[in-house]
Amino acid sequence: MYSFLFYLILEILGVLFLILSFSVIAIYLILMVLSALEMRDYLRKNRFADYGDIITSPIAPGVSILAPAFNEGKNIVQNVQSLLSLHYGKFEVIVINDGSKDDTLQKLIESFELEKTNYAYNPEIEAKPVRGIYKSRNLSYRRLIVIDKENGGKADALNTGINIAGMEILACIDVDCILSSESISRMVRPFMEETNRKVIAVGGVIGIANNCDVQDGTVTTYRVPESTLGKFQVIEYFRAFLMGRMAWARINGLMLISGAFGFFKRDLVRAVGGYFPKTVGEDMELVVRMRRYMEEQQIPYKVGFVPDPLCWTEVPESEEVLSRQRNRWMRGTIETLQLHQAMRLNPKYRVLGMISYPFWSIFEKSAPILETVGLLYTLTLLVLGDFSAIYFFALLALMYLLSLLVSSFSVLYEQIAFNHYKDKKDLRKLIWMIITEPFLVHPKVILWGLRGHLDFIKGKGGWGSMIRTGFKKAEDKKNFKPESAS
Amino acid sequence: MRKFLQRTLICILMMSCSFAWAQDQIIPEDSTEFRDFLILQKEVQGLSYRFYLLEKSISDSLAADSVYLFSKTDSGFISNSFSDFGMIQDLEKPLVEDSLNFRLDFVVFSQSVDQTAVREYLANLVRNGDYQVKFEEIKSSEDLVSLASRSPYSPFLKYKLKFVADYKLFGVTVVIVFFFVVALTMIVYMLIMKARKTKRENLQKEYDQLIVDPLTSLLFEKELDEIHDMEMQEIYQYFPQSYLGKPLYRDVLIDRIIGLNKKMKGEFKDKLKVLYKRLGLDKISAESLKNKNWDRVTEGLVQINEMDLVEALPEVKKHANSSNFHIRSQAVATLLNLSEKVDLAFLRDQTFPLSTWQQMSYLRIIKFVGQQKDLKLEILFDSANKSIRIFGYKLVRMLGRIDLIEVLSKKAMHVEEDEKIEILETYSVLGAHMEAEFVNQCLNSGSPNLVIAAAKAAGVIGNEESASILMGLLRKEVSFSEKLIYLRSLNELDKAEFEAFTQLNPDAQILEIRAHLLDPLLQHV
Amino acid sequence: MKKILIIEDDLLISSLVQFRLKKDGYDTHLVSDGNEGMKAIDSYGPDLIITDVMMPFRSGIEIIHHARQCRPDTPIIVLSSLGEEEQVVLEAFNLGVADFIPKPFNPNELAIRVKRVLK
Repeated sequence: MYSFLFYLILEILGVLFLILSFSVIAIYLILMVLSALEMRDYLRKNRFADYGDIITSPIAPGVSILAPAFNEGKNIVQNVQSLLSLHYGKFEVIVINDGSKDDTLQKLIESFELEKTNYAYNPEIEAKPVRGIYKSRNLSYRRLIVIDKENGGKADALNTGINIAGMEILACIDVDCILSSESISRMVRPFMEETNRKVIAVGGVIGIANNCDVQDGTVTTYRVPESTLGKFQVIEYFRAFLMGRMAWARINGLMLISGAFGFFKRDLVRAVGGYFPKTVGEDMELVVRMRRYMEEQQIPYKVGFVPDPLCWTEVPESEEVLSRQRNRWMRGTIETLQLHQAMRLNPKYRVLGMISYPFWSIFEKSAPILETVGLLYTLTLLVLGDFSAIYFFALLALMYLLSLLVSSFSVLYEQIAFNHYKDKKDLRKLIWMIITEPFLVHPKVILWGLRGHLDFIKGKGGWGSMIRTGFKKAEDKKNFKPESAS
Repeated sequence: MRKFLQRTLICILMMSCSFAWAQDQIIPEDSTEFRDFLILQKEVQGLSYRFYLLEKSISDSLAADSVYLFSKTDSGFISNSFSDFGMIQDLEKPLVEDSLNFRLDFVVFSQSVDQTAVREYLANLVRNGDYQVKFEEIKSSEDLVSLASRSPYSPFLKYKLKFVADYKLFGVTVVIVFFFVVALTMIVYMLIMKARKTKRENLQKEYDQLIVDPLTSLLFEKELDEIHDMEMQEIYQYFPQSYLGKPLYRDVLIDRIIGLNKKMKGEFKDKLKVLYKRLGLDKISAESLKNKNWDRVTEGLVQINEMDLVEALPEVKKHANSSNFHIRSQAVATLLNLSEKVDLAFLRDQTFPLSTWQQMSYLRIIKFVGQQKDLKLEILFDSANKSIRIFGYKLVRMLGRIDLIEVLSKKAMHVEEDEKIEILETYSVLGAHMEAEFVNQCLNSGSPNLVIAAAKAAGVIGNEESASILMGLLRKEVSFSEKLIYLRSLNELDKAEFEAFTQLNPDAQILEIRAHLLDPLLQHV
Repeated sequence: MKKILIIEDDLLISSLVQFRLKKDGYDTHLVSDGNEGMKAIDSYGPDLIITDVMMPFRSGIEIIHHARQCRPDTPIIVLSSLGEEEQVVLEAFNLGVADFIPKPFNPNELAIRVKRVLK
């Protein structure tokens, strides 16, 4: 009986993996086509756009830049200076010192001639207490507001900033990001373009600054990072930003805007209650919640995406840091999906519920599990000497080819659209990376993802178990109280 | 694993036993059933039958029948032997019709036997495998089924695997073929794109070099009139005719002239415009308006706009209500810029809602045009399109048209709420103190958004009554942000009232806001 | 012959300016990006620098900084594509530039100003 069940399971798994591989291939090919279409339209549009106009026009929306800082004493002054010199007319820079243990605040106070104000702070969105709100005596720093608050994590710091932000659009960034001077005008444009739909958020591309020359807020010379993990991330970011998000933006199914560089409509962010500080994936969760809110209110909306390279960041090249980052991303994804389970395959949420959500749960959340099981499956067949093992070997090979195709497509894509890595040597390095990455790095990524799953089940951070219970409605978030008993 | 095999073996054995036992059972004992059974078999080797008539005499015709070939015996007549049981019924039929008394006789190897003996004989044949029992009337097309039923039984498991394996093979093949076709097409397409782009870029660079010097020297060497009256041959000396025939060269030339035009002032701008027409590039711009691709059309519109190609305006007008956002906004911008008499009627008649982007570009042009020509902004207030009306109110304040406040004042009471909000902002920016009454009405309207907008306006253009309404509002249950707005306006409106209201107020929030409003550092926000 | 360094990324503009200045008998040198500009300030040793503000690699402001440090006596004319954006103008004049010409501009006018600055 047991052996019969065993074979039955093998058969069923076989068929499942076949279907899965087919859909993986189909979906990636569709994504490639969609992103190419979107990119073509974007490049065409850019040909006659006059961004200079946005900078000075009184009609352009104001932007509040929110930059949380935690123990950034080393570079904070330089970073804030470059934020203040962005080319845009109506904007303010809100730096939130999230209870840093170093001299972040002192440095800011000294360099920008700050003084504590009597700012009447009203915590519309709940956040950790504010110790003081500072502004400069010097009028040339009139755009700067510095908030000093007790430590509560990135989401909490951003919520404090949202409470104070005075402009129509919020730009949530990492303070150590390098922003191109025209980043605001380019990112604001999608908000201005729609007529019948409300643009609720706009995401941007994040470039990898490791090993590049940076000057005056722009990367001047692009070089591929030296380390394997660095090069891997270059390709991964191309895939994610140029291909993945472009394609999702095309069908208005974008679920994630990177926390390091995202623009949001302030009033909507406030209406949904700001960031959710209890998840590690607060950036994704906010976008999903905002979208869910719009779907539930039945207001036509759009989440935009700008493929221009405007923001660069140093990515972790050490395995330890990267593994923690991936672990956190995985937990964030699981948590967000769990929180918004109500949308799964729910036609009420249209693209979001019927396409984006299932895609994320199968291809992002469950990918490490599925891939591991698939590999074990093939190995089992091989051990049993089943002759269908050969097909699954062929399938594995096919998956490898698909990864080559997708990666080389993204690199080619970048070459056509922006052409940053001009050195032939760099290109060769990237191609070598594309070929070896599925063996060298991918297994590690799967392992980190699995650990993320494990940590989520264990309830790492203490929020896992609560999130697993989920919310009934998006609005519930506001009344959410931790269940200390469970 | 071994256990499994044993079990299977036992199973097979048991099943084959029961099959053999069942073969005895399939030959019926009952005589009618046995007869039917034989009919079904049609022929069995060594077995035949004949009819025995228990009659004294039979008719001549029957006696002479060539089928039965009856022969006389002691007690009656006996027919010839037949081996085809299938014919029993046909043969019986005439005998029954003549109501003759007859009996069926079985013959095994020419020996007359009874039914029991026949059964035994049959059973023997079947057991030895010399005869295959037929169960039902067999149609010739079902041969395969009969063949299959003859093949020995074996467990299904192996066949199942084989079947699924084939199905997998099929699936994998389809996936692979599909994948390779799409992947190859994609890669090839991308490579072609890249190659084309590189080639194009190189050519562009080359043309750029070819254009820069002649264009520069032409602009300095020739006066405006001279360019106007130049012979074509002379122009070709600067820009060779052979190149002018190449579309890419013309594109680069157009780009250069337009780019330069944006950055030049004075007589250079005029020279560029004349040159543009002399080179026949205006026709290309006009031509691109008919292109299928929206980006080409928009490009054409930009060129017409930059180079003042007034003669193309009728064509441009057709695009003013295009469903494509970019074409539409550029067409409207061009019309605004180039129209002889600036008639905003076509803007008023736009059916699509205006985006902020469009408002921005129209504002820039209207601002520029408004310096030279008289604009009838007020016709926008009558648009059926709300976003156009709101844009109209916005224009009043951005162009500082104080003269239109009177027109607005007549309309303000009867428009929708978000229009009122826009009008309030226009009033406050223009400092329309005479409209304080309207502000107070809005303050009393009870509609939250309108009240907030009115409160903001009251800070600039309110009167004494506004101050008292604001204080009234503050005494009610209001949110923190509303308090901040009301108090800020009150402070701007009447410092003394503000002091009196806040200084001794028991509400901690109001005291906090007071400190905020009086902080000099927070004045420039 | 006075030497003029032109730092400008738009090829047409720079060649137009160069053409006009050559007519007036100056020796001119063209570079098209900020990095080249920095090098040329040292190697070419100009008597006047004409520079754009928004350029690839380095902003004009940076170039002005650099020029002020290593050639404090060389006058600078800023040719700005940012229009008359107040902040840029202020910053430029604070750094001690001789003149500020916003685009769109007239090359003849530029030539007059160059003559005046070099006098």
